[in-house]
Amino acid sequence: MSWLRSKFAQAVLALVVAFVLFRFAIRPPVPWTVVTLYMAIVLVAVLVYVSSDSDSWRNFLAPIRSTLVEDSKRPVRVGVMVLIPLVVGYYAYTQAAARIEAPAELRAIHPAPPASISFSGKTFDIQGLDNPLRKDAANLGKYVAEGAVIYIKNCVYCHGDNLDGAGPFAHAFSPPPANFTDAGTIAMLQEAYLFWRIAKGGPGLPKESKPWNSVMPAWEDKLSAEDIWKVIMFLYDATGYQPRRWESHAAPAPSQRVGARSGGAFSLAFLAAPLGRVLAPPTEAQQPGDAAQGKVIYEKKCLLCHGEKGDGNGPGAPMLDPKPRDFTKGRYKVRTSASGQPPTDSDLFRVISDGMPGTSMPAWKVISETDRWNLVAYVKSFAGGAFTIAPKAAELPKEVAASKDSIARGKEMFEAIECNKCHGNAGRGDGPSAPELTDDWGNPVRPANLTKPWLFRGGGSSRQVATRLATGLMGTPMPAFIDSVEKPEDIWHVANYVQSLRPSKPDYVTVLQARAVAGGIPDDPAAPFWAQQPPANFSLAGQVIVDPRNFNPSIDGVAVQAVYSDTEIAFHLTWDDPTFSKSDPKAKTFADQMALQFPAKAGKEETERPYVLMGDGSNPVTLLRWTSDEGVGEATAWGIGKITPKLADAVKAVGKAVFADGRYRLVIKRPRATKDHDELAFPVGRFLSVAFMAWDGGAGETESRMSFSSWYFLRLEEPASATPYIVPPVVALLTVALELLVFRGARRGAWGE
Amino acid sequence: MLKWVSVLCAGVLAAALIAGASTLVAAQDAGSIVGEVKFSGTPPAPKVTKVNKDNQVCGDEKRSEEVIVGANKGLQNAVVSLVGAKGPAPKPARKPVLDQKGCVFAPHVLVVPAGADVDILNSDGILHNIHTVSTANPSLNKAQPKFKKVMTEKFDKPETIQLRCDVHSWMAGWLVVQAHPQYALSDASGAFKLDNVPPGKHKVEVWHETLGKMTQEVEVKAGAPSKVTFELGKK
Repeated sequence: MSWLRSKFAQAVLALVVAFVLFRFAIRPPVPWTVVTLYMAIVLVAVLVYVSSDSDSWRNFLAPIRSTLVEDSKRPVRVGVMVLIPLVVGYYAYTQAAARIEAPAELRAIHPAPPASISFSGKTFDIQGLDNPLRKDAANLGKYVAEGAVIYIKNCVYCHGDNLDGAGPFAHAFSPPPANFTDAGTIAMLQEAYLFWRIAKGGPGLPKESKPWNSVMPAWEDKLSAEDIWKVIMFLYDATGYQPRRWESHAAPAPSQRVGARSGGAFSLAFLAAPLGRVLAPPTEAQQPGDAAQGKVIYEKKCLLCHGEKGDGNGPGAPMLDPKPRDFTKGRYKVRTSASGQPPTDSDLFRVISDGMPGTSMPAWKVISETDRWNLVAYVKSFAGGAFTIAPKAAELPKEVAASKDSIARGKEMFEAIECNKCHGNAGRGDGPSAPELTDDWGNPVRPANLTKPWLFRGGGSSRQVATRLATGLMGTPMPAFIDSVEKPEDIWHVANYVQSLRPSKPDYVTVLQARAVAGGIPDDPAAPFWAQQPPANFSLAGQVIVDPRNFNPSIDGVAVQAVYSDTEIAFHLTWDDPTFSKSDPKAKTFADQMALQFPAKAGKEETERPYVLMGDGSNPVTLLRWTSDEGVGEATAWGIGKITPKLADAVKAVGKAVFADGRYRLVIKRPRATKDHDELAFPVGRFLSVAFMAWDGGAGETESRMSFSSWYFLRLEEPASATPYIVPPVVALLTVALELLVFRGARRGAWGE
Repeated sequence: MLKWVSVLCAGVLAAALIAGASTLVAAQDAGSIVGEVKFSGTPPAPKVTKVNKDNQVCGDEKRSEEVIVGANKGLQNAVVSLVGAKGPAPKPARKPVLDQKGCVFAPHVLVVPAGADVDILNSDGILHNIHTVSTANPSLNKAQPKFKKVMTEKFDKPETIQLRCDVHSWMAGWLVVQAHPQYALSDASGAFKLDNVPPGKHKVEVWHETLGKMTQEVEVKAGAPSKVTFELGKK
């Protein structure tokens, strides 16, 4: 370890260790700008250390000097002198050609609440306010149970069954819904604080918390004060946290609690986690469960949806689609057992552990493995005799790997066995039989959209798809195909074909980049021009605050391409919708719609955005929209249902939509600026705000029954420039010149020895 | 000794009585029940579904076969059975066949003995799926694509099973798995006949898919048919 005595080696080691710590040990990861800042501080500290006295400094310089001067080190010298300009040049390139990132949002996570709020005509003093229900000690359990029902009917969609902010709608929102199990949320707040946040939601936040994109609605019109207190009691009961008390802590000044959103805590967990995984390998081996133990867990975690009797009729069930499983029939969709057979214990265990994608059933990994096996035992006990015989496993033919031939054969078989009848020609769940399908309980069911494998109930891998094809999804219209393909291995070919329709889930982004193009932009959504533009994917979720609410939105995402020219901006939107529908009172269908939402005071750098659900009375939004009844139009909205369409001359947008095989493609074009000062404008290089809303009229979606996204950014990219190709060589050349200067200095002995 | 003989005799007699309820009854000793199932009231106009797929095979319209009323208000497709009859159902002379033709189940109601193989045909040359809504037997949902002309299935437990095809939502049928030999299906004029009924008082039950169940007491005499008329209507 003699080399460690070299000051130079020490300095390098210190820098490397510091970098590794800053980069990998801090969770969540800190932004690069922060890492750079920390590293600069460490560098200064290291330089101070090595230059503390002249011996030390000489020791530090020695290896550098010898590299520069000694003839024996010539190859190293040349290598270093070539490498440094290249690295610096590359760095210059990455900076000049940097991708645009959304502006960092610094905001008060827990801003100071107002002294008092008005709630349905009454004034509540937040400061010092306690949960009035806690005085009624005899009924605490009853209030918590009632709070749980309120939660499952209103909050679960975003905040999730596990209270971890990962509900089925969470993916559509940025910032994500609050995670109540995190020690940084309700555990450090008073109940009155929660009361204020629930009652007034995102729109009620003070200025210091802006820009705030919270989609949290104001629940004051939907829930009574008592309801809110009950749900608060449920939150603390379910997470095991205690609310903070007024006596013990005066509310700290908000400035003390301001933190960067991405800021995190230093932790060594990253070291411990992999170790822990090695020490405790997951044992998924089947265990005999104890139904009595399972009952205890069931009543805590499952009953609200699946019901006390296991019949799928819990208090949360009416809002859900697909409906929670009715355990009394012993009929299950996702199985590895043959058609007509009950599932194996492992099948049930897997569904409990991994959840059902695309439904409100989450992955219950928070429940211990033993308890999950206990749940399996309890759930089976609802079905009387269905589980008396051990289920027969479905036999799958030998796996066929995906290949061009296999996919071609799969397509041929897909057509021969007429998968399109339900799933549609392109697999988007738009087949002619799709609207009529019901399950064995008489509930309408939608065939899977095969281009969204991440939503397959039993998983999207080839093996999982092949198993579903072989066994069918019992209780649904999906039949078993194992005896109904030409050769058994066709099951694998069809599975490979289904996989080829969409290999992976799209990445969702937060910035929609509009590219600069020269000349005219085609109106036709099917024009080849659009295929060349990179899409940005945005996720959509249901609207659940204004009646009628939409718990099961039909449209869960939209892919957007944006381009602009000197005069125009154009948006190309692609989304799946199983039916083309128009307003038809007889058929109970409505117009299909898509809307882009902008703040009405647009074109300004965003600091204050209107509330994402069409704004409010003081902060309106502008909608660029298309409906299957009326085509492209524009409107101003002051809240949901308060929409004023612009009249003929005021509408500047034009566009066109095409519908084929369960998919819409739409182009909306608009002048980038108009003379009117208050109008929508699209300047280059600024972070503008945009949000999306969609309606599937064929599924009964209209007005407030819609899906929507939170606010995202729209940025018109500066036209492509030569900068990324000019700057790096210049920087590299300058570096070479600097190197030569240092080299000459060293040769002349200016560094002294 | 005598006691044993009498016990044995009594046993034989009892066995004979039980067997008497089945086909073992000699023809001259048995009676029969003939009758009619009638629709009471004004028969409803059949529901008509507009066909929106496979029109070349299925046609453009499908009339519901739920309630078929013939001449003299005779109700077709009602299942008449003797309550409490014993014994296994006889093996049918021909394998029971359920066809899917013109996008309907033919016959609309099929009565089969428990445990018999049933041939399910696809005469249409398009995809059907045979989907049973059953509880006693395993719930069946198998695809039958165009190239799968015949599928053979067995239904072991007596049950009245609803049949559907999810591809064609109007397709509906019934499979009645017999518990014993005494079953009859009413024909287009509503007529039915139960043969080989042992003499005595019997309860006769009629079941119809939408009009429900009804029972009547019938006195059967050897060698002569007893008459019974059921009137079913919307409740």
